[in-house]
Amino acid sequence: MDNNTVEILLIEDSMNDAELTIRALRQGKINNQLIHLKNGAEALDFLFGTGQFEGRNISNKPKVIMLDLKMPKVDGLEVLKQIKANELTKSIPVVILTSSKEHPDIERAYSLGANSYIVKPVEFDEFAKAVAGLGLYWLLMNEPHV
Amino acid sequence: MEKSLELTLAKRNIAFQSEEKEKRTAELNIANHKLIYLKEEKDKRTAELVTANKELAFQNKEKEKRTAELIIANKKLTFQNEGREKRAAELVIANLELIYQKEEKEKRAANLIIANKELAFQSKEKGKRATELKIANKKLTFQNEEKEKRANELAIANKELIFQSKAKEKRAAELVIANEELKFQNEQKKKRAAELVLANIELAYQNEEKKKRAIELIESNKEVDELENRVKERTEDLESFSYSVSHDLRSPLRAINGYAKMLEEDYSTILDTEGNRLLGEVRINAKKMGTLIDDLLTFSRLGRKGITKINVDVNKLLETVLSEINQTTINKASIKYSKLLPAIADYNLLQHVFTNLLSNAIKYSSKKEKPLIEIKSVLKNGSVIYAVSDNGVGFDMQYADKLFGVFQRLHSEDEFSGTGVGLAIVQRIIHKHNGKVWAKGKEGQGSTFFISLPDIDKINH
Repeated sequence: MDNNTVEILLIEDSMNDAELTIRALRQGKINNQLIHLKNGAEALDFLFGTGQFEGRNISNKPKVIMLDLKMPKVDGLEVLKQIKANELTKSIPVVILTSSKEHPDIERAYSLGANSYIVKPVEFDEFAKAVAGLGLYWLLMNEPHV
Repeated sequence: MEKSLELTLAKRNIAFQSEEKEKRTAELNIANHKLIYLKEEKDKRTAELVTANKELAFQNKEKEKRTAELIIANKKLTFQNEGREKRAAELVIANLELIYQKEEKEKRAANLIIANKELAFQSKEKGKRATELKIANKKLTFQNEEKEKRANELAIANKELIFQSKAKEKRAAELVIANEELKFQNEQKKKRAAELVLANIELAYQNEEKKKRAIELIESNKEVDELENRVKERTEDLESFSYSVSHDLRSPLRAINGYAKMLEEDYSTILDTEGNRLLGEVRINAKKMGTLIDDLLTFSRLGRKGITKINVDVNKLLETVLSEINQTTINKASIKYSKLLPAIADYNLLQHVFTNLLSNAIKYSSKKEKPLIEIKSVLKNGSVIYAVSDNGVGFDMQYADKLFGVFQRLHSEDEFSGTGVGLAIVQRIIHKHNGKVWAKGKEGQGSTFFISLPDIDKINH
């Protein structure tokens, strides 16, 4: 995969949820270049060209980041904080993926600068609709800078 | 001749004596004068001297008379010359007598001189005494003046003392009154003191009781604190449990449902009818379990969430509720309500309550030909009561207490779908508002659900 042309960055520790999310996006005709990373540490390495992603041209930024909150090691809120604290990445829209709207971290995520959130429902149809809708919205909102 | 000589001699003698007498008289007079000048204090002696003088004067006069008589007698003798011897003898005798008298007089004169000297001495003494007396008098006068001054001063001092005395008397009288007052007050104080002693004993007793109570309260406070801590711990446990349920249970369910859906979408043409039905059941149950989890989470959230009471227009609230229901449910019921009383409640929670009650009413009357739902309100005993009635399937009153239990259902899933959490949520919300919830019904003849909320006025007070 050409890491330099990634448009959607999906950060999700659950392989099942990641597969469902990607399927939902594809069903919504969103066929943009996508990379799925399984934890926060990997995501930060990717964004800032460190670790396994050393040497990556970090000026090629994803158009949207879909970020799960509950992850091992570096969790979603920590990733969000670093994204929004860095001049290079802070303008990238971040859509929070969460299992429940009861999650108290949604509020914290918003205060850290998250742009939207999607509750991952049990019913796939609803989830697909939400993912496709929001994904498209932010892809369109965030046209690449020339 | 002899006789005449004798007579001449006698005459001469007498003449001499007379001269002497005169001299003496003159001396006496001088002494008399001296005596006359004696002071008044010498009056008695002076008087005596005067008397003596007078006597002498008288005697002189007598002598002069006798001399004259003797002259006369002499003349007679001269002319008579007879028996003059007798007469001469008598004269001698008389002469002797006179001599004697003269001696006496001399004696007396000497005595008088002594007396005079004595008097002079006494005079001097008296003069001294008088001078001394004058000095003493002056002293006395001076002392008298001093005494008068002192007396005046004393008089003034006296007046002052009298004035002070009167003031003191007044003060004394005032003090007597004040004393009585003090006595009275003292008695009152004694009474009060006695009362205070009793009150003190009472207070001491109460204090001990309070100490006991305080110790008990501290103990029970500790217990309460412990309980609170335990409740807090339990609540935190519950929250993390809720989170786990929310996240971890839903995640695999989502996978089950999602993969079933993928299977359906990608392989339904390969599966036969039965295969597709079985796949559908998987999806339906996964979805149902998701709903159950969501309802449970809602129920548990309501236990923790605080409420914010505002004045709610229930008529408008119902409009919102019904429009939301109509979006997801096929609703053919006719729903009647008008001019419902406002409620003091948490808006979102009350919306939840009416959503539940109306959804139930619609669901359980859906099998009627003409489903009818009515909402009414009434003010009773300081509470606003809302009643939601339907003409649906109703229920047996002997199971009325089971209506509001979690997962308690009076109908099978086949008859009416549901999780059995809805009315439990309603009850929990109403209880959080210090209200009540109850239901009346009869099988096949509909049911009415009541909720009561404390009235506005009662809350304001």
